[in-house]
Amino acid sequence: MAIEILPDERALRSGRRERALAQMEAHNLDVLVLGRQANVRYFSGAPQLWVAGTRPFGPICTVVRSTGEIHLNSTWDEGIPDDIPHEHLYGLAWNPMTLVEVLLGIEGTATAKRVGTDALTPSFAKLLPMAFPNAELVDGELAMRAARRIKTSDEVAVLRGALRVAEDSLAVAVGELHDGTTEAALTGVMLEAQAAGGVSTPATQDGAWVTSRDHPWRRAGGRVQSGDLVAFAAGVLADGYLGEVGRTWPVGDTHASDLFERWNLLWDRLAAACRPGHPASGLLAAYEAAGEPLPAMPVAHGLGLGFDPPVVTPQLRATAAEEILEPGMVLAVTGYVWQEGVGAVFGREAVLVTADGPEVLTASPSWSRAGVGIG
Amino acid sequence: MTTFATTDTAAIGIPDLPDMARMYTESGARLRSAMADNGVDALILLGNGNVVYATGASWPLLDAGLSHVERPVALVLADDPHPHLFMPFREGAASESQIPADHLHPPVYLEFDEGVEHFARVVAELTPAGATVAVDELTGAMRRAADRLFGDTTPVDAAVVVGAAKLVKTPDQIACIRKACRITEEAAVDVQKALAPGVRQIDLSAQFVRRAFELGATANMLEAIWQVMPVSKAEGTWTTTGDLALPLLTTERALAAGDVLWTDVSITYHGFCSDFGRTWLVGDAPSSRQQDQFHQWRHILEAVLKVTKAGATSGDLARAAIAANGGRKPWLPHFYLGHSIGTNAAEMPMIGTDLGQEFDDNFVFPAGMVLVLEPVVWEDGTGGYRSEEIIVITEGGFVPLTDYPYAPYGD
Repeated sequence: MAIEILPDERALRSGRRERALAQMEAHNLDVLVLGRQANVRYFSGAPQLWVAGTRPFGPICTVVRSTGEIHLNSTWDEGIPDDIPHEHLYGLAWNPMTLVEVLLGIEGTATAKRVGTDALTPSFAKLLPMAFPNAELVDGELAMRAARRIKTSDEVAVLRGALRVAEDSLAVAVGELHDGTTEAALTGVMLEAQAAGGVSTPATQDGAWVTSRDHPWRRAGGRVQSGDLVAFAAGVLADGYLGEVGRTWPVGDTHASDLFERWNLLWDRLAAACRPGHPASGLLAAYEAAGEPLPAMPVAHGLGLGFDPPVVTPQLRATAAEEILEPGMVLAVTGYVWQEGVGAVFGREAVLVTADGPEVLTASPSWSRAGVGIG
Repeated sequence: MTTFATTDTAAIGIPDLPDMARMYTESGARLRSAMADNGVDALILLGNGNVVYATGASWPLLDAGLSHVERPVALVLADDPHPHLFMPFREGAASESQIPADHLHPPVYLEFDEGVEHFARVVAELTPAGATVAVDELTGAMRRAADRLFGDTTPVDAAVVVGAAKLVKTPDQIACIRKACRITEEAAVDVQKALAPGVRQIDLSAQFVRRAFELGATANMLEAIWQVMPVSKAEGTWTTTGDLALPLLTTERALAAGDVLWTDVSITYHGFCSDFGRTWLVGDAPSSRQQDQFHQWRHILEAVLKVTKAGATSGDLARAAIAANGGRKPWLPHFYLGHSIGTNAAEMPMIGTDLGQEFDDNFVFPAGMVLVLEPVVWEDGTGGYRSEEIIVITEGGFVPLTDYPYAPYGD
């Protein structure tokens, strides 16, 4: 972050647009109407106000394939790249008919045959045909997902920056870990450190929790005590890109050495599964091969402008089996092991799939047998 | 704000802290009543704010990108007092809820065909054949599986149903909003104290978010805004309207003496949002022209509050505001004079938007509706004045929820 709100760099923007336009062609889409923050940024390169959680679909960014022109919902031009001229900006509107009028005014909408949207509401399912009288409305998220799946080298560079902010904030929070502190205090410290590092847009806000000794994934409660294993999860959205990292640190004497060792053995198998040509389901198989039960959360998901494919979870086994890893994919991979009476060791790493194998992008220190517990 | 009060919150039955079990029961009853009014048998909810409302579950919200995938989903049936909740446990987070165990399900992944096929089977088991279904979002995978999810019917928009339920807040929901405001205000006190030349905008964000979590916030809802106002509209950022830009994003810019800041922050408590906005001045006392801006703002607010009560319309408030401002709208053309608030930071009604005069005149306020009023006053050379005031509509008038001074402009 600087002292000005700037659009994404030109090379980053053009690399992404090229990929997305190619997918529009591959999916035979004449127009894309996008409402999701990540898709809008992917095409436009313009930072947007961050609001937590899901947002209902609305036409925020419209792309016409034949002209390559981008029309964007923004009331001002701060942070808007110069290839989106003022006449392509339209302000906030509360009446959906105002937005239909905007779409009607865009060159290429009247003649479009296939229009993709990245989500839809029943209301816009009725309204959009007024703006696209000759078009079939189809799912456009598949095209965006295909484009976003593989990162350009410029994207990976920005992603590394996001990971640095996440890792720095995790280190600050770990530094505040002591007997008697609370989950809320640790999360507050972590989010404060992210903002001080220039990022006031968290991707996750579940910063720290005391793992349970009685239940595989429930929490032990808000207050940290000696003997606890405390999990830290830092997630930021920096320059549009999602950086996530996770670690677990013991407080005082925990008898957790064997559990950390189990985590290390699991991690070796997880990392080895992140190879090009291998199915994403290899990450589920890694747990099984290590003899560890699958955790409550997904084992992996893609990192990029928000969520990217794949999502690797036992609920989507067939999908994961069909998803073949390719160079340029970046995954947040979660290792999670639990021992009754001890607690859980949770760790999350960012892994770039390269032609030569996995490159782990995160480098936060982990507790080791040689070290001592905190507190 | 107490000078405007016609009564206090205890007098209208708002508890100090919410009774979560009662809130769950009453929210569910409101939702099912709205379903009956709209002829809806089953509601499928994907939007975070809607799921919070329907289930009472709350969690530290994820960024929009992640929250499309790892999101709780609710299925509400007209004849069942309990909603079904499909809950992801992202970091082992167990959301406290009142939902019985047989209504809690593993997460569903509705971005994916495999996830939707599974969900459709569960919905078919739980929902009577031929049911009228309402849904708030259709993912691509849901559109591809529409026949399995909705049969040969077209789903109704759940926004209408949930919107109707949300309009009147229960006393416990108001208690949640007020607690969220108290946390926000207490954190803002410290931030305002730290305001000085040389402090960066982002430092204010850092301090705010830490305090908010320490004080019990569930989640940060909005990227904190500390916008430095331009000297004149002409020198400000270009806009589609020719008027002021707001909100412009926070940067590492160091604040200077005399900077006028328009602030806007929001957090959640048990899933309900706060909204905080004040005009602050960096390292300086307001000039008499700046004081006049504040007095004008206060004059407008008083005129609006004078006509505010159950039975009034959005149109009544807009007219009162315009009359008090010499015939000009005292709000930005891309925004509104006010809006409601709840599990989303801005809920219907929005007052004075492109929805039009007729919409505003037909929107009659019920008692128990919550309103955020945010008039804007501007004169080149002063930085203007904008603050936000949250009130609850009552039969006889309103009760204020915001409790924060106007320093350095007034008390």
